[in-house]
Parts: sequence; C-alpha cells; structure tokens
Amino acid sequence: MKNRLKVLRAERGWSQQDLAERLEVSRQSVNAIETGRYDPSLPLAFRIADLFGMAIEDIFQRGE
Amino acid sequence: MDSTLVSRRPVWLWGAAFFIGMFGTGFLARWFDLPSIPSALVMIPPMLLLIPFVRATERAQAACGALSPATQRYNRRGLAWSFAYVLLLFVAVAGSRALDAHGPLLWLLAVLPALPILYLVWAMARYLIEEQDEYLRMKVVNAALSATGLLLAVATVWGFLETFELVPHVPSWAAVPVWAIGLALGTFVNRWSEK
Repeated sequence: MKNRLKVLRAERGWSQQDLAERLEVSRQSVNAIETGRYDPSLPLAFRIADLFGMAIEDIFQRGE
Repeated sequence: MDSTLVSRRPVWLWGAAFFIGMFGTGFLARWFDLPSIPSALVMIPPMLLLIPFVRATERAQAACGALSPATQRYNRRGLAWSFAYVLLLFVAVAGSRALDAHGPLLWLLAVLPALPILYLVWAMARYLIEEQDEYLRMKVVNAALSATGLLLAVATVWGFLETFELVPHVPSWAAVPVWAIGLALGTFVNRWSEK
C-alpha cells in the first residue's frame, strides 16, 4: 500500500515524533508506515485519517 | 556520528561483559571445583551486570523510537525472573545436596528453578496483551515465531539423533535457552530488515 503520510506530516511541520505522540504510537511505527514497510490496521488507519481530517482512501492507496 | 549507533554501542559492551562474566565465572567455578555457595558468590558480580545491560538496552530502544511502557515493564520483569532463576537454581542445587533431599522435598526443590521460567512465559504473554503499539507487537510476535520454529527444528533433529544414540541426552529445560537464542536472532533479523 502507498500512503501520503510523510507529505501530510511535512505540510503541518510535524516531526515523526510529533506525529507518533499525536497517534499514541512509537516513532518507529510512524517511520515504518511512512516508508511502506508496515501497513497499519484498520483502527490505526482510522485514527490517522481522523487526525488529518481526511478519509482513509485519501491517505492510503493501493499499490506497492 | 549517528546518535542511534552511539546509544547502541553500550548494549553490546554490557551484553558481552555479562555473558563473558557469567560463562567465565561458571567455568572457573568448575575448574576449581568450588562448592555451591562460593560458586554462587563469584557469579553475583557478573549477574549484576544485567542491570546496566537492560538500562543500556532501554536507552537504545528509546533512541530508535521503540521504547513503549509495555516494553519497559517487560524489561523489569525480565530482570526479576533472571535474578529469581539464579537464586532458586542455587537453592535447589545446594538444598538438595545439603539436605540429602528425597521424596516430596526433592520434588519441591526440583521444581523451584522452573518457577521463574514460568514467570517468563507469563511476562511474555502480558507483554503481548499490554503492548498498545501494534507495530512493536508485530515485531515481537514475528521474532517469537522465528524462535518457536528454531526450537521445533532443533528439538526434532536432536530428538531423532538421540533416538539413534548419536548424540547425548539433553534435559528438556534446554528448550528455553534455544528459544531465547531464536528470539535474539529474530530480533536481529527484524532490525536488519528495517535498514
């Protein structure tokens, strides 16, 4: 799955640590999701979408 | 220099010091044929190296953004079971000799060293329940599956070799260190795959 997490985070001027704290996950988790090494569960994907005020499909797309 | 590398270096140093200290004093105790109590006493200082080893591990985990409250609790429990294991193993070995134990007392002493290992199994289960970070939990589950695969492979091959009297008998408690080696290898593979 591809995602726009890094771009969305950068647009808000957040570091990976900032985003991790907002999502209540580890910085390593944010890094793994951003780099496509880990696809989050549906509950975490919803939390990410809620945080950015977007739909899940606007952040995550099909593809490698 | 990469701060992650700097923070990880002491982990290896403390880990190496711990293992060299434990195996070294154990070897010396056997070499000089020390009785139970002196053997236990000389192994206390290297055993205490576990504390800075765990602290350095936590600093490294924090530096790479992988230290969760559940991980910290697991580390504390790991320290507790390690010390309890050494203490109860000493009580079991020394007690069975000193008291010339047999019958129910021998059963009680024999099962003592197993209790901290059961606590370790509980601590691992608690970690998987308490870990709120799904990515960190997945990594531990992957490493645990690798460890279980290694244990099954080693136990199966060794078991048949033993059946055909090609290798000596190994007590079944050896499953724990084999599993621990598998867990360490699995963790190493996790880290390597992240680079």
